[in-house]
Amino acid sequence: MAEAPASPGGGSHDSGEHSPRSNVREQDRYLPIANISRIMKKALPANGKIAKDAKETVQECVSEFISFITSEASDKCQREKRKTINGDDLLWAMATLGFEDYIDPLKVYLAKYREGDTKGSGKGGESSSKKEVQPSPNAQISLQGSFSQGGYSNSQTQQMMVPMQGSE
Amino acid sequence: MRQAGKYSGFMMSGGISGRTGPHSLPLARIKKIMKKSGEDVKMISGEAPIVFSKACELFIEELTRRSWATTMQGKRRTLHKDDVASAVVATDIFDFLVSLVSETASHSEDVTEPEEMEKLGSS
Repeated sequence: MAEAPASPGGGSHDSGEHSPRSNVREQDRYLPIANISRIMKKALPANGKIAKDAKETVQECVSEFISFITSEASDKCQREKRKTINGDDLLWAMATLGFEDYIDPLKVYLAKYREGDTKGSGKGGESSSKKEVQPSPNAQISLQGSFSQGGYSNSQTQQMMVPMQGSE
Repeated sequence: MRQAGKYSGFMMSGGISGRTGPHSLPLARIKKIMKKSGEDVKMISGEAPIVFSKACELFIEELTRRSWATTMQGKRRTLHKDDVASAVVATDIFDFLVSLVSETASHSEDVTEPEEMEKLGSS
């Protein structure tokens, strides 16, 4: 047992038990503190300040959140004998673990992303339902199905650059 | 296998920074953290880190807002680690973080930040 993968928080504090750690490792475990800080500030009033230790704690919490959700999604994939964790698995895991409030905003985000966010996504009156949740979950599944077929290679990237499948 | 090049490549098109593109968090890093979640996490769809980039944003905002409520209760203006710990303990969906925050927050129980009290007094 080389390390406990699901506990990133343990890493930076108990230096006794494990082999020596470097800053390179830290970078792999956490999201950049500057990004965390920026998002935190958005959630505070203008006069609010954030101590460094709070940023670091949130940084650890975010990695734990990713692991928590990913593990649940991964279990589901194993049960269903699938090899690739996709976006829907994560949404399902979040709903299961109490984060159902995130689902709608995430679906909106994904839908926008698939349409190509920069290219004027809301022009037609016909697509007035756009700001709501995606009409059918099947659209998602078929899209992701094609991702996993392409394996783990460049084909993913290319499909993501051409987000027309989702919008039709 | 490094995936960073791939992501930054296609993100470059619409991004401000070029590293994270339209997303507020770097996708390659998210992917690394996902892979550390377990030995059976091997294949991750291209969309999964994108879902997480937004989900983490929502998560950080929620955790920060709840922590800030604790800060305000203490009549302080600087959010500290203890506030995050209190928010975690008080919120059901953050139960999975309890051990993380309690092991790191133990030493700073009595930080009331005298300088902050002064600020509040003078304002």
